Amino acid sequence: MKLPYRFPILIVVGLAVLLVSVFAQSGGYTPGEFQSSNPNYPKPNPFYFEGKIDWNLLNITTPSNAWEYLQRGMHYQDDMDDVPDATTDYQTSLSMNSLQNQTCQIVTAATLVNGNIPTSLTPAPCMFTVRLRLGYLQRETNPSSAIELFQEVLQIDPQRLGVNTLIAETYVIEAQQSTDPTTQQQAYANAVAAYQAELALSPVTAQFTALTADTANNSKVHWELAQVYEATGQNSLAASELQAYLQATQWHSDVYPWRIALAQNQIHTLAAKK
Amino acid sequence: MRLRILTTSLVVSLLGMLEAGCGTSVQSVPNPPQVAFLPQTFQPPENCLPCHQRQYNELHSAVKSGYRNVSPLFNGLESAGNLVNGGLLRPVYSDSTVVLPDGTLLNTNMYTTPILKETRQVQAGFCFTCHNANIEVLGNNPNNREVPQLAGLATCNPAPPAGQQCFQPQAFRPLRDYVMVDANGNQLLPPVPGGDPPSGAQPSLGAAGITCDFCHDEAGPDLNRSFQMDGFANTSLLLNQTILKTGPFSDPVAVKNNFHVANRNPSDIAFLTNGSFCNTCHDVRVPNRNLTAEEHNMNPGGQNVSYFRLENLSTEWQIGPYNGTNNPFGHLVRCQDCHMSLFPYAGTSTYQVGDMTVTSPTPGVFATDYAAVPGVATADNAPLQQRQVVEHYFTGVDVPLMSPTELSARLGPNYPDPYGMGIDTHGVPNGLATRRQDLMMAAARISLGKTDATTQLGQTFTVRLEAVSLTGHRLPAGFSQERTVYVQLAVTDANGFLLYQSGYVVDKPHPNTGEPASDGNLDDEDLEHLHAVVDPGSFTATYTSGTGTNGGNNVVFEAGPDDGPDARIFEGAQEGLVLFRNELTHIFLPGQAIGRIDAATGKPVLAQGVHFEETFQAALANTVDNFRSLQPLHPRTYNYEIQLPTMQQLQAIGVTVQGPLHVHAQINFEHFPPLFMRFIAGVTGATGPTGHSLNLMDEQRIDTYLKNVKGIASDDFTVNLTP
Repeated sequence: MKLPYRFPILIVVGLAVLLVSVFAQSGGYTPGEFQSSNPNYPKPNPFYFEGKIDWNLLNITTPSNAWEYLQRGMHYQDDMDDVPDATTDYQTSLSMNSLQNQTCQIVTAATLVNGNIPTSLTPAPCMFTVRLRLGYLQRETNPSSAIELFQEVLQIDPQRLGVNTLIAETYVIEAQQSTDPTTQQQAYANAVAAYQAELALSPVTAQFTALTADTANNSKVHWELAQVYEATGQNSLAASELQAYLQATQWHSDVYPWRIALAQNQIHTLAAKK
Repeated sequence: MRLRILTTSLVVSLLGMLEAGCGTSVQSVPNPPQVAFLPQTFQPPENCLPCHQRQYNELHSAVKSGYRNVSPLFNGLESAGNLVNGGLLRPVYSDSTVVLPDGTLLNTNMYTTPILKETRQVQAGFCFTCHNANIEVLGNNPNNREVPQLAGLATCNPAPPAGQQCFQPQAFRPLRDYVMVDANGNQLLPPVPGGDPPSGAQPSLGAAGITCDFCHDEAGPDLNRSFQMDGFANTSLLLNQTILKTGPFSDPVAVKNNFHVANRNPSDIAFLTNGSFCNTCHDVRVPNRNLTAEEHNMNPGGQNVSYFRLENLSTEWQIGPYNGTNNPFGHLVRCQDCHMSLFPYAGTSTYQVGDMTVTSPTPGVFATDYAAVPGVATADNAPLQQRQVVEHYFTGVDVPLMSPTELSARLGPNYPDPYGMGIDTHGVPNGLATRRQDLMMAAARISLGKTDATTQLGQTFTVRLEAVSLTGHRLPAGFSQERTVYVQLAVTDANGFLLYQSGYVVDKPHPNTGEPASDGNLDDEDLEHLHAVVDPGSFTATYTSGTGTNGGNNVVFEAGPDDGPDARIFEGAQEGLVLFRNELTHIFLPGQAIGRIDAATGKPVLAQGVHFEETFQAALANTVDNFRSLQPLHPRTYNYEIQLPTMQQLQAIGVTVQGPLHVHAQINFEHFPPLFMRFIAGVTGATGPTGHSLNLMDEQRIDTYLKNVKGIASDDFTVNLTP
């Protein structure tokens, strides 16, 4: 009576075992199914991911939006040493995330809802990385464009460190490239203002000194500012900045440590010129 | 009829397999039924010792077992998180009467909630769950509860509701206060919160942390509690509390006196021995809105729980080259192959990664030994055979930041010395510090081979450093936003004159933690890309949650002279520190206080726009960059454009530079950033938000135990100096 059932059952069970074996993964047990979305591709919420993601992890064939063009541009620039293609991608990205054509916005208090950020913003927030990257590449070839881009970054985040220094350095480049004394003078003056704006973002206060033992900071800015003052014949100010540089390097040295000895020497030289 | 049922079942199964194998949609998967074995309460590891002596000894020295529960850093982090949000990270239990704002009861925690639908459920026991899930489960019985539910979770300013008590930081204790018992097994608390272990204190059941039972009681992944329904992260693991124990063997020998039953279920065994098992814990997803990446719990009803990825190690392995055959070894390399094998003590392999030829320890080599003690462990004294066995050291990047005396006082007199000498019967060093150092030395390789061959004074030349990670995940991984891997690079002339340096540190005072003058120790110094001091907070009579007085914001935040990480990423600059550490970021919205005081006005400095700033307090992060770490087996080149001084500048300082120039680069590992540890010292110190010292971290501990691993990989290059 049971025989008619046993053989089909055995066949079915055998088939099942066979199929399970076929479908089983060689690596062993796999719980559930790993998330279907690419964990390396951040879905903006509402800001773009401002950083660099390894290009091979993004699984992008052809960029389709401002963020993807930025990512590919960074890949070209950093991983392929391909500055022309990087520049093109940055420009395309910028065209899709532009204040001028209103494809991006500066987020302000008015954008917030009860002090909170909505889940999405239309137009999207302006990205700072693409502006910094493109501006940095254009410092020598198109300083005025670079400065405009850096100033847009300051619109996005006026307190972002380093942007004023980039502006200052670009003005210095502009001054050095110019043969017109008036242009030079203005560019240097603009550079000084930008350097001072950078210093103002990290003020040296009594609390700062109590916490760090530092009596000055931003050694790079002080060094570069001293060079500007020296180039414009403002020796007293140059000496003062070199002194601040020495204070700032007291507990931090410098990536170019020989500059410390050079600054000491320059202070003496500048004093002798008085 | 039976045939019809079987056929139907088969078809359904086949369809299921086809969907799992080919589809992309994920369906809710019910938890597998619990197997009806005899119940067995969570066992202390000492009960496994008689039959599994070697495994016990090995696990005893692993940081996840024992040390983590008394770690000053883990306890400090957990405390800092609680102090900023009013104790929300402490567990709640089934007898909780806490009512959420929507009127529902909060009486389940991160482990006991079937589907996490409320952020507060994920927060409840957030740190404790991963490190002590079994104890959290036992805590539903007040008699077995080690860590109490805090009174007045969160703040209730301006006045507590009738009959309720607000969060009281002055009564706050670190978790490790709760893991001590007397000789009768009754909980012993230090007389003052955070105080020394009382006389006669012994480690409690929970002091052991991740024990034998935690892994060998596994009953598969808990898909419903994993946010992506894939068994990843936040202890998405089902635990039996029965005599059924899963090991790696399909043909286990019967256990003496039926102390436990050896699981023969191939699925459970395969799970335990696969990376999938590790995936249940080694992603950590923090319940907080990520402002740059939208991710939320996809389980039904879980949409309101959004998160960011803190530890992303398991995801990195899952989608990386070692989880497959596209790696130098041509086969799947599991977590167990490096962290539970003889690695890195079982020979080396030489292989090609990109254009780099690499020699590195071989993973997946195991010792042959008995899995249990012969003559003791088996029913009827059945003979055991020697097999391939795994090590239970679980060596990673961590070593205890405590002395052997301190460890013994909290974890028992036999706690192994992390700095011990000698080797075990398998040839593996006994000391955790040695194992950690050797593991790190296998992690990466670098080459300077593409550096400019010649240069001139007054000119710029380019050093090209190619770096590759050989790890199964990114490097660093785990708490990768604080674990620090970086490149130290120096350019000198033939006489040793230093022309350029990056990745350097300077011995300096730290007045904020009581080091008024430089002390000759470089391991306690931060890298020079950033100068930051994190607000430790301060005690106030009336508690208010948030960063106002509870610390976490940066009170000093400025760029340093070696500012490479941000400059390289955001500007595309080719200079400054190459730092592989990931970053936690706090995005401040316009008008929000960023934590500093305007010296001129005395008022808080407010964000004028959308302000991104690195944060060292994970509880404040609302975005994270997990892509600064090195991707495995994917070489990357980092350029340094180095400006040489002019002849005139050198003459001014009386130096003659003599060629050739020498470039030296090495990768170093920093256990934790000192500024982060100083924050932990401050926020848990006597002047922090609790108003009393939790006795976790101070400058002396930082100076004594913060030991970094230098020279994981190195290379040298000679550059000719032309006139």
